[in-house]
Amino acid sequence: MAWLASASAATPPEAAPLEPARLIASLGRDAPARTAFTEVRFSGLLDRPLIARGELEYLGPGQLGKRVDTPYREDTRIAGGEVTVQRGKRAPRRFSLSQIPELEGFLRGFGALLGGDAAALEKDFTLAASGNPAHWRLELTPRDPRLARRVSAIEVDGSGDTPLCFRTREADGDVGVLLVERLATVKLPPRPAPAQLENLCRGGKAP
Amino acid sequence: MRPIPERLRVPLLIAAWLAVLAGLAAFALARLQVTTDLRSFMPAPQTADQKLLLEQIGEGPGSRLLLVAIEGAPVPTLAALSRGLAAALADDPRFGQVINGAFDATQLDPALLPYRYLLSPTLDSHRLDATWLGEQLEQRVEDLASPAGVMLKPLLASDPTLETLAIAERWAPPKAPQTRDGVWFSASGEALMLVETRAAGFDPAGQGEAIAALEAAWHALPEAASARLLLSGPGYFSARVSATTRAEADRIGIASTIGFLLLLLFAYRSLPALLLAALPVASGALAGIGALAGFYGSAHGITLAFGFTLLGVAQEYPIRLLSHRRAGEDALASARALWPLLATAIVSAAIAYLAFLASGVTGLQQLAVFTIAGLVVAGLATRYLLPRVLPPRFADAADRRGIARAQAWLERVPRPPWLPWLLALAGVLVLWQAPGPLWQDDLAALTPVPRELLLRDARLRGELGAPDVRYLLVLRGPDANSVLALSQILEPEGAALVRSGALDAIEWPSRYLPSIGLQRERQAKLPDRTTLEVALADASRDLPFRQGLFEPFVNDVEAARQLPPLTPEAFARSPFGARLAAMLFSADGGWTGLATLSGVHDAAALSKLAEASQGRVRVLDLKAASESLVVAYRERILQALGGALLLLAITVVVALRSPRRAWHVLAPMTLATLLVLVVERAAGISLSLFHLVALTLAAGLGLHYALFFERPVADDAEARRTLHATLVCVVSALLVFGLQALSSLPVLRAIGLTVALGVGFHFCLSILMARPRRERP
Repeated sequence: MAWLASASAATPPEAAPLEPARLIASLGRDAPARTAFTEVRFSGLLDRPLIARGELEYLGPGQLGKRVDTPYREDTRIAGGEVTVQRGKRAPRRFSLSQIPELEGFLRGFGALLGGDAAALEKDFTLAASGNPAHWRLELTPRDPRLARRVSAIEVDGSGDTPLCFRTREADGDVGVLLVERLATVKLPPRPAPAQLENLCRGGKAP
Repeated sequence: MRPIPERLRVPLLIAAWLAVLAGLAAFALARLQVTTDLRSFMPAPQTADQKLLLEQIGEGPGSRLLLVAIEGAPVPTLAALSRGLAAALADDPRFGQVINGAFDATQLDPALLPYRYLLSPTLDSHRLDATWLGEQLEQRVEDLASPAGVMLKPLLASDPTLETLAIAERWAPPKAPQTRDGVWFSASGEALMLVETRAAGFDPAGQGEAIAALEAAWHALPEAASARLLLSGPGYFSARVSATTRAEADRIGIASTIGFLLLLLFAYRSLPALLLAALPVASGALAGIGALAGFYGSAHGITLAFGFTLLGVAQEYPIRLLSHRRAGEDALASARALWPLLATAIVSAAIAYLAFLASGVTGLQQLAVFTIAGLVVAGLATRYLLPRVLPPRFADAADRRGIARAQAWLERVPRPPWLPWLLALAGVLVLWQAPGPLWQDDLAALTPVPRELLLRDARLRGELGAPDVRYLLVLRGPDANSVLALSQILEPEGAALVRSGALDAIEWPSRYLPSIGLQRERQAKLPDRTTLEVALADASRDLPFRQGLFEPFVNDVEAARQLPPLTPEAFARSPFGARLAAMLFSADGGWTGLATLSGVHDAAALSKLAEASQGRVRVLDLKAASESLVVAYRERILQALGGALLLLAITVVVALRSPRRAWHVLAPMTLATLLVLVVERAAGISLSLFHLVALTLAAGLGLHYALFFERPVADDAEARRTLHATLVCVVSALLVFGLQALSSLPVLRAIGLTVALGVGFHFCLSILMARPRRERP
């Protein structure tokens, strides 16, 4: 924060184009890092958005955890290239990430972002940054055509060294919005509209 | 017409001769197809296992698989190379399935998609009612929010219970390697692939072609230079073994040809004579090939290899002519004087080979045609053509001082009459007591695959879970459906064997296609449209799915209720069709199913499963079946050889018009053959087909030695010429076959050692037993 403060003091925000690599480096977290999340998913298959709440965990490079608490219980762990999904009392399902290369790229990107590893992220995505240190947006476009067939872009909105909102735009028009940190606990209407979430991410304020 | 000038006659004759040979060669090249499929060289199969082995297994799933490993580069490069190679081979007609682990579980072949409710085992334990559907749809909601949602979304509307995935899981290789970057990798970091060739495993030429195409496709890949390609599998071995055998045979051939030429140059001191002496054998070989082209149109590679070996006898003809020329006599007169004996040798050999014609094995019949045509033509060329083109100047062999000394020494060698009997008796005793099995029935032992390649094969096979190439389970039934039904019944027993550790994995034909009965059972459990719609509405009441989203699902279930069950013929058109076709086919008025096994640790457990099936399932041991074929084949050869020996004895008796003289010729031949066997058996060598062919060649050479030594001669000079000719023949044969005996390849060693030993024994015993005792002056 001190660095950010001094950086913004030295150069006026509007004159300083944000450099993606520096921005990403500032996002790095020491593992383990945890945050609550709220995920809103808009899909052409659904007649209302799907809202799930739980906790995200970053446990170091290549290791992620996602626990859904409501509306159902699900525990997903990714470690050593293997995904384990445990739902309720059912036997855990395991699959190798490498069987689904596009998913692997996606999750690798996610991990690299949380690890602040710009170089690793650069391998899988082209990066673009906009906004100012207080309200920035990072746009990740997949390089791998296989991933690009499923995911057209990932947009990350944040403030300072904290990402607040991950928006995954899928190729078929579906959108998943993951709200973390202070946005995770924001109260949402039962059927939020995409524009409301857009505002929330942009402004970092509750609708 | 003007007569041709004298000085032009010889060159013209040589030119005409060469022209005829060139014409023969052109005819043979155009007509003769050389086959390498081992099956055409084998006798007709007798037992069911042999039939299966020859008719189907060469084409079978295990023997046509090439195991491919790519190593020596970072994982992403290796994965890209694996994908590139798979893409390049996918369009090549020489290859069937190419699998490298890159497999989209959500993509079922469109032709099979409507059948998914009949193919998937789901309906065996569940019904498409509100409870089951509710449970499934709830999970789909959760899937949508999970990382896997991206993948599953396209399936959801038509396949909410994910039958597509259930089928993909069922059809995935039973024991697949780990995937990295989307393709298979071994534990030691090599990208792994399985490539199925169209050529049968028994067909080294077809396999060689496929391997060359694979390597060409590999080298065309942009990053191929940065990594290494490793191949393994039965096809690769057969191609590689035949290549190394040929390379070593070529090397030995060049060395022995040079030695042979030097020897002849030393013996006859004339380069033109030497070059011309090659013409009769060349004529014989081309005549043999021409005869095969004319009679059969095709010949097996082994026929040609054995044929050229047996034709080695013909090299003696020009040598005899060159050695027996005498001062003051033209070559034609020498040939005329030599002819009765030479003709006896040729005719008796040719008559002996007639026995091969009666063997009933095409490969052996072709061998007889080739050898008889070759020997007769080489003999006639030696008699009628060679003398007319030989240079008139030559050195009489009888004048050589060394030969005179050798002859004098031979005269002094004691020849005790009891010695042959003692040798024969001792030989029989040794044969009786010899160590090791008499016959070598495992042909693979003669063309061994280097140990490190076998180890690599075992490792890759283990990692890929590729089927065992030795054991198979054979299922029989009156029709395809009964075989599939049997296969279904056995599936749990197979799973129990895998659990008990008797084997690593087992792949049944019913894994791909359920029997019609089971398909109908599943079909009967599909609800009608109204029932399904009610159940679906009930199941998705509290779920966020869009209204009418599952309309495609309802339609597909309705369609599946009306479908005629999937038959093997219909299944054959799908991408997995080739796989099933290799495991399920009609044969012998019934249907046969093959279950492939991987990692067999306990063959006895398999036998137990087969015994319990009351004859409907058998364990097929491919090694045992191929060995029984070799045994059957050897029996035919032994019968043919026995017949040949009898014919030979009769011919020699008739030609010499004296049983006593015939005994002098045949006794040393027989004893020498016995002694070769004694030495090889005493050394613990087991005999193979190659030993038998080599023994036959040696006996042919021995016949010459005995015939010429036995011949009454007018004077000492002629006796010296006979010795000179025989020495040249013996030394050249020892040179050529002695070099082969030193080879590292067991098949060349078998031939070389047998012929070299045989030549030595035939020579010594001919001197000992064939030559008439002459009064000392």
